[in-house]
Amino acid sequence: MNWYLKRTGQALFTLWAVVTVAFVLAWNVPGSLVDHMVDRIVQNSNVDPEIVRESIESRLMFDPEASLLEGYLTYVSALLEGDLGYSFVAGQDVSTTLAEAVPWTLLVMSLATLGMFAISLALGAIMAYREGSWFDIANTFVGIVTTSVPYFVAAFLLILWVGYSDAPILELFPPRGRRPPRVDPGFTVAFVWGALRHAVLPALSYLITGYGLLALSMRGNSIQTLGEDYVRVAELRGLSSRRIALRYVGRNAVLPLYTSLLLSIGFMLGSSVVLEQIFQYHGVGYWMYEAIDATDVPLMMGTFIVITVCVVIATFVADVTYSMLDPRIKSGDQGEAY
Amino acid sequence: MTDQDTRSTQTATHSTERTGSTDGTADHVLEIRDAEVSFEMDRGVSRVMDHVDLDVHRGEIIGVVGESGSGKSMLASSMLDAVVDPGVLSGEITYYPEDGEPVDVLGLSDRKLKRLRWEEISMVFQGAMSSFNPTMGVREHFVETLEAHDDDVEAGMERARELLSDLYLEPERVLDAYPHELSGGMRQRALIALSLVLEPEVLVMDEPTAALDLLMQRSILSLLEDLREKHDLTMVFITHDLPLVAELADRIAVMYAFELIEIGPTDEILRHAAHPYTRALLNATPNLDAPLEEMRSIEGAAPDPVDVPDGCTYHPRCPLADETCVADDPDFRQVDAAHEAACFHWEDAAEAVPFTGVDVDADPQTSITEEHR
Ligand code: SF4
Repeated sequence: MNWYLKRTGQALFTLWAVVTVAFVLAWNVPGSLVDHMVDRIVQNSNVDPEIVRESIESRLMFDPEASLLEGYLTYVSALLEGDLGYSFVAGQDVSTTLAEAVPWTLLVMSLATLGMFAISLALGAIMAYREGSWFDIANTFVGIVTTSVPYFVAAFLLILWVGYSDAPILELFPPRGRRPPRVDPGFTVAFVWGALRHAVLPALSYLITGYGLLALSMRGNSIQTLGEDYVRVAELRGLSSRRIALRYVGRNAVLPLYTSLLLSIGFMLGSSVVLEQIFQYHGVGYWMYEAIDATDVPLMMGTFIVITVCVVIATFVADVTYSMLDPRIKSGDQGEAY
Repeated sequence: MTDQDTRSTQTATHSTERTGSTDGTADHVLEIRDAEVSFEMDRGVSRVMDHVDLDVHRGEIIGVVGESGSGKSMLASSMLDAVVDPGVLSGEITYYPEDGEPVDVLGLSDRKLKRLRWEEISMVFQGAMSSFNPTMGVREHFVETLEAHDDDVEAGMERARELLSDLYLEPERVLDAYPHELSGGMRQRALIALSLVLEPEVLVMDEPTAALDLLMQRSILSLLEDLREKHDLTMVFITHDLPLVAELADRIAVMYAFELIEIGPTDEILRHAAHPYTRALLNATPNLDAPLEEMRSIEGAAPDPVDVPDGCTYHPRCPLADETCVADDPDFRQVDAAHEAACFHWEDAAEAVPFTGVDVDADPQTSITEEHR
């Protein structure tokens, strides 16, 4: 129980820190924030700057003229009510924009993470069992090469591949957008299938460039676990090799990879800014890029906060599941998992 | 009966006629003949066990003593044909079940070998602390072992609980625990219970108490004694700790440089050790009454497995060594009815290597015990 309290406390503290940092950054944007926005809008239209200014100020989350503390308090209380301000780029509330964008980013990330772990764990374990074979050597080489390719290069290559391919492939893996056109959103086969197809290429970009390192760590851990006394004793006790591979080698070799899982979640969220731009995939990262491009401060702060919340939640979930996988964790045998 | 079984019976009968540390009289449960373990290494072939002949009598506790790197762990693994790769075991190992045909251990099919291990000959490892899967409860270790051998799980778990309580553990508490929740001594005892859950005839223990404190070692020894009586077990106890095993063992076999060099009843070995190395080993065992600076170690270094000395392997360190020793490898010589030593000059050993710490007039069992305290 104590353990959960501690973890929850850590998560809440991280959230608070991020919210505060976001505020401080916004508060300190050089020049008057509002002036900046007004200039931008007036440039493209011939509306009266004063009307624009009023309209903007009324939609800001805090009064830029107020004191720092006052501004901070208004901002935090608005946040607590779920109000993230108004986005000029999206033309609607930040919370609406993001609530609608987050699931798409999560879809790509979960596809990438699940696929990557499934492939890496199996591959790494097989490589360990066949240590030194051509299969092992070839895969080690391929793993190192793919790992050194940046994800956005993989993204471009994938788009090229699809672009030069025949129509069926292009149809199957659309390189742009996030959902099939002319299909109504909802839990229909056509829509879900379409959404999945659109998520494949972005997910593959992560997977291709990320699986190698993971498979190599799994390989190393498995080789180490294979040398453990308990594996030898299990063999002498006559356990089937299938059981030894899964319950003894696999289970114990996977544990250290939890750190990699966390790192990859954080990495993917960060990279979504670029990747979703490449695929014109309207997720959280896409909006963050748009926000930065247009100096849309409320949207910037919103995406920043949402991404952090996602990381914090993912960390928390990983933490809790880790303690289920490794019985030593809760009794403080090892203290920290990673 | 298969052809293989017939053949192994014949070889077994045939091989009992050989001499060495063997005798034809007692009821043997294991016969090891000319067992050898070698490794291919960059520097050449390394022989980590060389021509070992040994009979294990049914129902006895035999202690195998040697320094680390003397080949004693190899001997332990050999008895289950469980030498780790890339070690290659050759020779003959015959197991005689209580009733039934002799079994040629090294000639068994994988399936039969799986049955032999743990069901007939079981083992407790040196790395006892790490012999349990850390991510699995203790109970599951028992259950999966029973299942792997198609044993009745319910009856098996009943046996497990009895074994655990015989070992002074609370069965349910231990079974419900994860390995890391048990103390070293508890884990060790749980492992002994696990090794006995299929009711084997022979239990091979490789340094089973090495990582435990003195008190725990002591209590485990007395528990082992009880277990042997209750279950008619034969025990092979491998250790570097001569005084420890002297308390428990009926017979002691001493290994030096990958070979067996002396074997005999415990009393005989303690009082009248005939091999200069055994005598040096007895002198080197810590005597807690003596001041620290008087503690001695045996002079010289243990030999390199790739470059074992010719002749008697002990000659570079032996005060009695002469040209014969350098040129020839001594066979076992009969010292007493059941006592043999592989040394040309065993008759002179007592004089050349007098006992320093041990009070030979006192009852050796108790004197050793007292020293160890
Ligand atoms: S055979 Fe020779 S060298 Fe070997 S122990 Fe005996 S006396 Fe020493």
